Amino acid sequence: MSEVQAITEKEAKARALDIKSLDNPKAMKLYRRFDGILILVLFAFITLGIQIQFTLTAGDWDYWIDWRDRRWWPLVSPFTLLLFIGAFTYGIWTRLRLPIIATAVTTLLCLVSWLSRYLNFYEFTHFPMSFTFPSTYIGLGILLDCTLAMTRSLVVSAMIGGGLFGALVYPLNWSFMAPYKVPVEFNGTLMSVADLMGYEYIRTTTPEYLRIIEESTLRTFGGSVTPLTAVFAGLCGIVIYAIFLYVGSWINGLDKYAKRIV
Amino acid sequence: MAQTIAQTTTQEAGADSKVAGHFKRNRFAYTAGAFAIAVGAALRIYLDTMGFSVGTDYYSEEFQTYWMPLLYGEIIFMGAFTVILSVYFWMTREMDASKISKELELSRYWKLLGVFTVMGVWAGAIASNAVESDAAWHQVTIRDTDFTPTHIIIFYFALPFLTAMLIPTFIWTHTRLPAYMNKISLPFLAVVVGILMIMPNYGFNEWGHTFFYAEELFAAPIHWGFVFLGWSLFFLVPLAVQLFTNMARLIAETTAEEGDHQSV
Repeated sequence: MSEVQAITEKEAKARALDIKSLDNPKAMKLYRRFDGILILVLFAFITLGIQIQFTLTAGDWDYWIDWRDRRWWPLVSPFTLLLFIGAFTYGIWTRLRLPIIATAVTTLLCLVSWLSRYLNFYEFTHFPMSFTFPSTYIGLGILLDCTLAMTRSLVVSAMIGGGLFGALVYPLNWSFMAPYKVPVEFNGTLMSVADLMGYEYIRTTTPEYLRIIEESTLRTFGGSVTPLTAVFAGLCGIVIYAIFLYVGSWINGLDKYAKRIV
Repeated sequence: MAQTIAQTTTQEAGADSKVAGHFKRNRFAYTAGAFAIAVGAALRIYLDTMGFSVGTDYYSEEFQTYWMPLLYGEIIFMGAFTVILSVYFWMTREMDASKISKELELSRYWKLLGVFTVMGVWAGAIASNAVESDAAWHQVTIRDTDFTPTHIIIFYFALPFLTAMLIPTFIWTHTRLPAYMNKISLPFLAVVVGILMIMPNYGFNEWGHTFFYAEELFAAPIHWGFVFLGWSLFFLVPLAVQLFTNMARLIAETTAEEGDHQSV
């Protein structure tokens, strides 16, 4: 009992000192310096993490304008982004009360993708930027973070924000993509401008393009494929975001020390 | 004991102020960060210059002259870097945590953040330069070896160098900072092991690629091992929480003592 009291008193004293330090300009300056370093390091590693994850799970749909189809691209992109965002959001929201991760991840991905496409696809392998420019997801990130900030609930933000994040990929990017979806006739075959560019720039991914993009599409569906994909992507967004919020809660529970590993 | 700590504090902190040192800029972060950027830029220029001119045919004499020595050099450098630093940090470890003053402990936390800053710079360089260079390379070349120029830069240097920095840093942290001594930080361990395991995963990845020579689907399942291991970065949040919990308390204590001394 006495031991418990001693620990409590020590802890109470330390916490009082913490609060007192908030009035100390020297302490505040050090806190701010610490914050600056932490933000730099965390954002740098988040950039690396999302770049690796996005490249290896949805990269093909983001590298090439002709790959940005109406069935897979609006599905795989929010899926892989929300997975990454969910795990980080839990820790940053519960520990620091900052609804910033979705915006940060999507913005950092956008910045690093533009830099990377220029250096690697344009400068290194000489594909045109108009063929390989990255999609944008920043608006979706802002939407998800705003949902969290306004509802202050991870569950509600997963239901509303996660769903909207999944559903709105296509409309958010439509203004960039519309010129590439204009139909053209080439050697008697009707295709889109994006397809024509793809056939002109033969890549090792071309066979996979032919296998995956618009493969065995039910043409009788007419124009409703895109909204159907959006609704399904919204469902996937809700589920995957909720699952990885849970993963984030498990990981943040491991804020521990061990005496031995095994 | 209290006297010992007070003496150590005074010796380490200098004559004027105990916290003054913490406002100085971390030269290590600036110097090593600039060096990391220089090395990354040099490798990138080498890749741009020599990649497509002498790097597309593994069986050519030029490839063996210009690319394989770079690979061997990288492996030797990183192996030596990791082993020498790790052994040195272990052999010179602190034996008595009670001899470490709060002031010294806090200064070591700043050093640790400096090292993480350098790693962050390196991580940013990998993200912007390295990752998609391999994607672009495989879109325009036939795969005839695991040791392609982009792999020699990314797989055998850029990513492993993160591990080469993380392992000695892990040992340094657990032998110099009282909060980490005689125990193991689980989130820190998860970050180190996750990034370390990316290297054995090359085996799975390259084994998978022996089935293909051209068609590149970057979202192919044989790449998902890297994604799973990259999730070890999720543990950066609990690691950051550990760090700022320890550091905030030390900052509060040392600055309070400073204020007390000045008021006296």
